[in-house]
Parts: sequence; structure tokens; C-alpha cells
Amino acid sequence: MSLVAEAFMNQLAAAEPWPENAALYQQLKEDQILLSDNASSLAVQAFLQMCNLPVRVVCRANAEYMSPSGKVPFIHVGNQVVSELGPIVQFVKAKGHSLSDGLDEVQKAEMKAYMELVNNMLLTAELYLQWCDDVTVEEITHPRYGSPYPWPLNRILAYQKQWEIRRKMKAIGWAGKSLEQVLEDVDQCCQALSQRLGTQPYFFNKQPTELDALVFGHLFTILTTQLTTDELSEKVKNYGNLTAFCRRIEQQYFEGHDKDNSGTAAARSAKRSLLR
Amino acid sequence: MAAPMELSCWGGDWGLPSLHPESLTVMAYAKFSGAPLTVNTINNSWRTPKGDVPVLISEDTVISQPAKILNFLRKQKYNADYELSAKQGADTLAYIALLEEKLLPALLHTFWVEAENYCSVTKPWFASRIPFPLSLYLPGKMSREALNRILLTKGGPPLYSLTEVEAQIYRDAKECLNLLSKRLGTSQFFFGNTPTTLDAFVFGFLAPVYKVCFPRVQLQEHLKQLPNLCRFCDDILTCYFRLTVSDG
Repeated sequence: MSLVAEAFMNQLAAAEPWPENAALYQQLKEDQILLSDNASSLAVQAFLQMCNLPVRVVCRANAEYMSPSGKVPFIHVGNQVVSELGPIVQFVKAKGHSLSDGLDEVQKAEMKAYMELVNNMLLTAELYLQWCDDVTVEEITHPRYGSPYPWPLNRILAYQKQWEIRRKMKAIGWAGKSLEQVLEDVDQCCQALSQRLGTQPYFFNKQPTELDALVFGHLFTILTTQLTTDELSEKVKNYGNLTAFCRRIEQQYFEGHDKDNSGTAAARSAKRSLLR
Repeated sequence: MAAPMELSCWGGDWGLPSLHPESLTVMAYAKFSGAPLTVNTINNSWRTPKGDVPVLISEDTVISQPAKILNFLRKQKYNADYELSAKQGADTLAYIALLEEKLLPALLHTFWVEAENYCSVTKPWFASRIPFPLSLYLPGKMSREALNRILLTKGGPPLYSLTEVEAQIYRDAKECLNLLSKRLGTSQFFFGNTPTTLDAFVFGFLAPVYKVCFPRVQLQEHLKQLPNLCRFCDDILTCYFRLTVSDG
């Protein structure tokens, strides 16, 4: 949005404190949501947990269409709707909560660079696997994506989305890649994250930041989602410090919410064991 | 010694060895790592580029993307990242991702989509180096591909018009330049005193913005306000490419 509109929205955001009834919308957890959307949603949930901001997760079949940018998840706070992790971080910052205030300029630059790395490699690889790998498309993506809708709408929507994603892959040069090359890229990305994390508890030592939330969202989802093959999760499991990182964040930020009736999506998925 | 290696890429002007960011990245890396490359710039002959440029040809192997070419050079023991720690290697990957996501769309826009720039500078320059009749078709195709890429990656809702997308990508690019400037600080290169892969990529992306004289130059003006990045480009040009700064 334009600078003026953004400034206006920030001012509106700053005016009210975080309400009790904030809601996060995503697709249906059990039947519909796909790997990449689940990862993005979990990243936002982790971020809000780390900021200590309560939010309840609402699953709707048409979440994608309700979202202002067409991407999930989006949050509904007061009378504003904000989607995707980047804008949500800005929005939360306007309300006075931030995880990265303690970082100096060089660290902030590094954090942004690593977030782009995750988006550029991990997210794109997830999208590739879901929409360009024929086996996965046949067996998982098409059945799941259109599941809330009757035939023929389910097929039409799935093909439409597939066509859109494949166009994008072609534009950025990923259409020519084979699955092995994509898995290689995932491995390279995990190696970089593992080397950056080292033996620290979080990427910027003692305190988690939005980068930790993003990495957790993607890696946890990859580790706990069943696909046609285990190759993707195997790539992540090769790096012990990354699986330990995921387990640590899961225990610290999601375990306590098992008692809630609504229960966060992560808490429900946390019941799936990380160690298979 | 390794087999002779030949690099086929777009040529240069305005004091640069190449106008094309990816070609420039490969050339810079070859200089940094000491790889003996014969550079063949594409000129008006019929040996037209088949597909992606730059292309490295060594004996029978033909390799086309910058990342793959750099990998190949490293395997041939021309490694500019020899002294980097594991964390610095990881940082390299992250910053390259930042460049591709935040700076590349604006760079493509400045060269290929901005109408005044494209018509008065980019198209004539490239067309003069491609043989007729391809020169009538290829620049247009490259322009359409650039616009396509920008719209598909950055153009979804809530940005509905091209002007909104343009505003967003230039904002992202300026932020990226600021981040790079903060990261570089006062050092000569990004990781100390010797240039590495990251320096090659940053140079490849920044130098065309810095040097090429366009009618519409908002990105160049922003870059000129970051003196350490300008100094970085000039240093590499004078030390590694032996071109005087006053050219162009």
C-alpha cells in the first residue's frame, strides 16, 4: 500500500491495545490446509506466542479468499485485518510489541537476510513439492485443496491454483529444476540455518525473534507432515541442532496451551511426535 | 591445470565490463578467485546465445546459471571463499537471497520495464549486440519476461496496479541498499580484506545501477547517498578490472 495509507494504518493500530478476541484465520486443519500454508500459519502463531499476545485460531474453508492479500494466515484484530508474517510483524510493532528491538543495525540486516533465505528457498521448495511434483499433486494436493467443495468446483479450483503456481515457478527459474535439485537446495538452506544457529538456543542468542518463529514454522511443519516420501523431512533431520531448536520452541511456547478448549493448531499437531 | 574455460556473456559500457548483473557476478568471481577465464562478449555475430547467459564452456561441459558456474569454478579449485567460517558461508547464502528478493525486481524494472529507460538505453544497447533479425525480437522478449517476473512475484493483491507494485519494489530495493550499507560499514569487503562470493554478487547487482546512465534514476540516486557502497564498487573496478573510475 502507499506510504500514506501505511502511515495511517500504523496510527490506527497504535491507538488500541491488543484485544482479547484476536483471531487468526487459516484453512481447515485436518483436511484442507497444505504444507506451505500450514508452515506460514504456524510461523505467525509462534511469533504471537513469543510476543505474549493471545490469539485464537479459526479454521475456515475460504480463508484464502477472505485474506486481503490472498495468502494465509491473516489475523483479525479489533477492526483490522492483516495477512502474512511481514505485515503482521509491522502491525504488532505499531502496537508497541517487538522482538527485534534489542538487535543492532547489522543484526537486523542479518535477520532480514535470513528471513528472505527461508522465503526464497524453503517456502519455494515447499510450493514446488506441492504443486510441481506430479506424485504429490495427484495424491495429496488436489484431494486436499478442493476437499470442502463439491465436484467439479474442487477440481477447477485446484487446477487454477496449480496453474498460477507453475507460472510463478517458471518466472523465477524453478520450473526447470528436478526434485533432486530442489531437495539439494533445501539441504543447502538447512545447512546455512544450522551453521548460523550453531549451539545457541535462538538465532540471536538469548531471545527469540521473528526469524526464530519463521524457521520454527517451516521446519516443524516439514518434520511433522506426512508426504508421499520422507525425503524432505530427512533433509531437516540431518541437522540435530535444528530438530532440537524445534522441540525447544514447541515445548516452551505451545505445550502450555493443551488445556485450552479451542487449542492452538500447533498444540494439536504437537501431539504428533517429532521423533518418528 | 584445468582445461581452458570460456565465458560467453553480455559486454559492457559506461566503465563496466558487463551490463548484465549475472554476467558481472561471474566475471567478478573469476577475478577474485584467480580463475583463468576467456571472456567472449556477445557481439553482432551469428554465435547467438542459446538460452541463458552467462554460459561457461569448458571442454564438453556447458553450464549456465551463475550459482552453478560458481560451483563449477570452486570444484576446479578456484575458491574465493576459502577462508570463510561456516557461519560466514551461511550469511553469504542469506544475503544473496536478500539481493534476489528485494533488489533484483527493482533492477529489472529500471533496465527493462521503465519505459523511458528501456526505449532510450536498454533496447538500443542490446539490439546493437544481437544480429538482425533477432535484434527485433529478443530485447522485447527480455522486457516481457522481466515484467512477468515482477508481476508474478510481487504483484498480487493488495497491490492492484503497476504503479503500486513499482512503488513497493523501489521501496524494498532502497531498504535493501540501506541494509547492505549497514552490513558493509567501513570494511573494504563484506568479510574482511579479501573479496568473496558475496562481494561478487553484490558487485554484480550494484554496479549496473551505479554506473549506467539512465534517464530515470531513482535507484541510482539512492545508491549515491550510500558512499561506502559506491566506494566498494569503485574499488573492485579499479583493482580487479583495471578500468579507471572516470570512465562513464
